[in-house]
Formats: sequence, C-alpha cells, structure tokens
Amino acid sequence: MFTNTLFLLSAALTVGGAIAVVYSQNLMHACIYLLASFFGVAGLYACIGADFLAATQLVVYAGGVVILMLFAIMLTGGTGNNINRYGLEKIAAMGNKKTYFFAGITAILASLVVLKIIANVLKDQPSTLLTSNEPTVERIGTILATDHILAFEISSVLLLGALIGAAVISRPRKERHD
Amino acid sequence: MINLGSYLAISFALFICGILVMIARKNIIAILLGIELILNASALNFAAYTKFANNNLDGHIMSLFIIVTAAAEAAVGLGIIIRFFQLRESIHIDDAASLQN
Amino acid sequence: MNSTVVTYLSQSKELTDATAWLSKVLGLDASSLVAFIIFAVACLIVVGLMSTIGGLGTYAERKISADLQMRVGPNRVGPYGILQFLADGVKMILKEDIIPSGADRFTFILAPFLCLVGVFATLAVVPFSSGFILADLNVGIFYLVGMASLVGVGVFLGGYASNSKWSMLGGMRGASQIISYEIPATITIISIVLLAGGLSMGTLIGGQGGMPQEWYLFHNPFAFIGFFVYFIAALAETNRAPFDLPEAESELVSGYHTEYSGMRFGLFALAEYIEVFVVCGVATALFLGGYKVPFDLGTGAILVQKLGLNEMLAKNIGQILELGAFFTKTLALYYVVIWVRWTLPRLRVDQLMTLCWKYLTPIAIFNLLGCAVWMYAFDGRSIFSLIFDATTVVAGHH
Repeated sequence: MFTNTLFLLSAALTVGGAIAVVYSQNLMHACIYLLASFFGVAGLYACIGADFLAATQLVVYAGGVVILMLFAIMLTGGTGNNINRYGLEKIAAMGNKKTYFFAGITAILASLVVLKIIANVLKDQPSTLLTSNEPTVERIGTILATDHILAFEISSVLLLGALIGAAVISRPRKERHD
Repeated sequence: MINLGSYLAISFALFICGILVMIARKNIIAILLGIELILNASALNFAAYTKFANNNLDGHIMSLFIIVTAAAEAAVGLGIIIRFFQLRESIHIDDAASLQN
Repeated sequence: MNSTVVTYLSQSKELTDATAWLSKVLGLDASSLVAFIIFAVACLIVVGLMSTIGGLGTYAERKISADLQMRVGPNRVGPYGILQFLADGVKMILKEDIIPSGADRFTFILAPFLCLVGVFATLAVVPFSSGFILADLNVGIFYLVGMASLVGVGVFLGGYASNSKWSMLGGMRGASQIISYEIPATITIISIVLLAGGLSMGTLIGGQGGMPQEWYLFHNPFAFIGFFVYFIAALAETNRAPFDLPEAESELVSGYHTEYSGMRFGLFALAEYIEVFVVCGVATALFLGGYKVPFDLGTGAILVQKLGLNEMLAKNIGQILELGAFFTKTLALYYVVIWVRWTLPRLRVDQLMTLCWKYLTPIAIFNLLGCAVWMYAFDGRSIFSLIFDATTVVAGHH
C-alpha cells in the first residue's frame, strides 16, 4: 500500500512538473518545476528498489544541474521574453502560439512512432511478480569495478574534460575575440 | 500498479514533454531544460527494464552513466551559452544563425 | 529492507500483540497501518525536538557569546532567560508579512520552504540511536548529502526573488559557497565510507566502538585530518561564521534574507540552526563514534547479564544511554561551532573560495588516497590496533 501511494505521488510530481515546464512563461519557474520533476523521478527510482540510483539522481540532478541552470540564467540575465537587444522582430523567447503549434505536430508524430514500438509491451503485460527490493549499492560497486571498468574510466576522463572545457570556454577574457 | 507498462508510460510522457520544450522555446537555456527531461526519460526507461525484465543491474549502470553524461553535457552546454552571451549579448536561438544561408 | 524505528519497536511483544488485536478488530492486516502510525508519531517527535533544539540554539548562541564577551545575555524571559526563543518566535509571528512589490511572489514564498525542506529531509537519516533512526537507508549518507544541496537552491532563489541588488549578490555568493564547499565535505565523507565499507549510517557507526581509540577520528592520520577538513567545509556549507559573508550585516545588509520579515525570516534562521545540528550530528556519526557508549552498554546485553533485567527493558535502557551519548557529542561540537563564530573574523569572498579550491579540496583528495592506501596496506586496522598488536608481539617474545 505504501509503495503504491509513493508511486502515484512520484508519478504525479514527475509528469506534472514536466507539463509545467512546457507551459510556464517564466524561465525561473520552469527551473523550479524541473526540480520538482527530478524529485518525482527519484521517487520512481525508489519504488523499483533502485536506492543508489535515487540518491545519485538527488545529488547530481537536484543538487547540481538545477543550481547550474539557475546560475547560467542569472549570468545571462534572461527570464522574460525580450532577451535580445533587438527584440522586436524576434519570436518571443518562451514561445508563442506558432511555436507551440509546430511543437505539437512534432510531438504527435514522435508519439505515433514510439507508441508503435512499445504497443507490444503495453498489450500483453508479462507476469508482474514484484521481486523484493534488495540493496544495490554493493552490487553496483562490484559491477562498476569488474564488468564495466572501461566505461567507468572513460566517464572519469569525460568529466575531467567537461570540467576543464567549461572553465576554459566561459572564463572572462581581456579583449573581445571575434 | 507498479508494472512495466506504467513506467513506460511515464517515461513516454516525459519524453514528449521534453520534445515539446525543445521545439516550442527559443531561449537556449529553456532548450537545455528539455534536453534534461529527455535524458531523464531514457534513464527511467533503462531502470524500469532492469527491474521488470531481467534482474541483473545493467540497467542501473546505464542509468548511472546517463546521469553522469547529462551532468557533464549540461556543464559544457552552459559554458558555451555563457560564451555566446558574452559575444552576442543575447540568448535567443535565432541569433545563433550565422552559419545559415 | 532498511531497518527503521518500526523494526526496532516490533521486537517488543506488546507491539505485536497490539497489531494482532487491531487486525482482529479492523478485519484487515493492520501491520502497515501500525507502521504508519509509529512513523507519524516518530516524525512528529523528531520535528518538534529539532525545532526546539533550533530555537534553543539561538538562545545558546546568545548566552555563549555573552559569556565570551563578559556580558550576561538574555536573562529575563523565564529562568535564566531560557524561554527567550519562544519570545522571539512570538515576535516574529506577530510581525507584518511584507512581500516587495517587484518581487517574484511564487519564488519569494517558496525559497524559505525549500531551505526548510532540505534540512528536515536530512533528519530522516540522522542516527540518534541504534533503534531510533527514522530510516536507516542503505544509501543514508549519500541521501543526506543530496538533500543538503537543496538548501543551496533555497538560498539562491531567496536572493533572486527579492528583486534587490543586495539580496541578489548575497544569494549568488551563498549558493556558490555552498556548492563549492560540498566538494571537500563529500570527498571526506567518501574516505570515511572507505574505512567503514558501506553507505548506511548503521554500517558507518557499526565500524566504530565506544571508547575513543576505536573512533574513526583516531583510526589513521588521514581520517584525523579529514575530520578538520569536514568540520571546516560543513561550517562553510551552513553559511556559518567565519564564512557568513552572504548574511554579513556590515557589508550586504543581511544578504539574501534582507527582504524577508517576520516568520519567513524565522524559517531561514531555523533552517540554519537545525542544519548546524545535523552537520554536527553527521560529524559525530562519522568521526566520533556516533551513538556508541563506552564499555558496550548500549546494546543492553551487559545489563541483562549483570542485573538480570527483562531483555526489552535492557534494550530500552541501552537506547536511552545511546541517545545520551549522541546528544552529548553533538552538542559539544555545537558549542565549538558557536565558539568559533564569536572568535574568528569573517573571511572575504575571494579568501573563502581560495580556501576551498586551493587548500581544502587537494587536502581532501589526498586524504582519500591516503585512506585507500592505508586500507590496502594495513588491512583496514586502525593505528591503535596496530600499535597494540605490535606491543603484544614484542611482549610475547620476551
């Protein structure tokens, strides 16, 4: 009973947050709704027993990526619709009816494609014996160090590159390069 | 209620919302929000399959690497956006069209 | 499954009898209902206790600072002024609730609650005693680190939403300070996790003992340095002096909570004091042996042996002893935090960032490598056990 309640709440938070991100007109509010969506996804991970994954989602996404987005919004000063000096003939930055119309058409096409693929799964539900949730931390640690060691090392190099690259690209420069 | 179909439905909804955000918005940072939604949808998909289809932890490992890659890509993407803002003083995506025509 | 308050209490016969009776009365399996009720009561107790400790923290701060400055401090409201925090609370509730007209209403109202939610959510894994952890998650310490970063989001949004220059600067400085100092704190936590072998609070404390030589503080020199690194980083994470530039009164007119008045400001202050307690609690759990009582009194086994008590009663007495040990160690660290605030001058923002990135982070990484090498070379034994074994070998040869 608890797991079902948790699942419903997390699902509502996730999808509600995502829909709010689509339709909100203020970029700061959109970031906050994205934070709510991340919390919902962490709850969904917890429902299927992925405890380490839920904690990682909280630490990395809710604690890292959202603050990063908020800082970038502050440093580039744009939460409204006229974020351009010459804002007159540009399309409104947070979307108007025309952009949402095209987005809606793309979404319908994409959903048709995806539904065709997953219709088989949704049609015949395999026997859903919920296995009990065991702790996963130790097993994930062992797998990362034995089976997937290459991906682990490459991701560390990737993170190092991202760290240095982001710092080098956006540091303030003395004169303008064009 | 907790079965593979419902998890697929949720990740599908997240994916569609991500696509909507990416196409409907013209603010580059808002587009990055959509990318994060899509990556979350795929990570949720992997984790759901590893729980309901086969019970080893490969899906969890894949979701972990998706989270790691998404964080790195958000950092680099926002670095590029800040540099773009330093050059053009605008974060409207139609101002990034100098390679067009 | 994780062990929680409910699993501890369900060892008692009275609870199983009550659950069976309730199942008979209601006609359906009442174990989850009883679990829910126990969780609700335990959460109410923890939230109420922590809010009182937060309020008493303000009182303790004023009294200790008065002692350091040879004043008296509050002594009018109640005996020795101990009800001063209640008077402050009443004053804050009665103040007018002003929202600046240019402020972003939604974010302005949300920011104190984000700070408060981030801090109260960490209370779920703070190990008060071996039976009274609300939820001994398998990923306990990791979850705590994640929820503590929510406070940074709250600080930043509070600064942004006030629509004023001072608040914006204070908010950005506060958020950048919090996310920078998370790194040495998390790396030090990881080095202690290496020593213990698990992320759950029970494993971390289970690897230590009651006597000081069994604490992780004295396990190896790297953990000793790690304690100070963690303490400094955690002080900076809670925006606590000497790192309180975001709320510096003489420079930024109170920083990110300038525009907050009345109870909204009270929520920010309460979140800060409770976060200091949680951080001290985590430092106790990681380095000072947590709730472990010397001479193994906490498990109640000795009481059953020596005094011949009922087993559940002995366990409860052991739990109370463990609670006392945890609170003693945590409040001692709390005193040190308050003492440091009123002794050291404030750091400038570039000194703050230099301290984090150029000093604490390399030291933390060095500690992590040192702990890993120690675990491999000496098979995970502490320095005291090595000396003790060496002396017994030497004594045995003679």
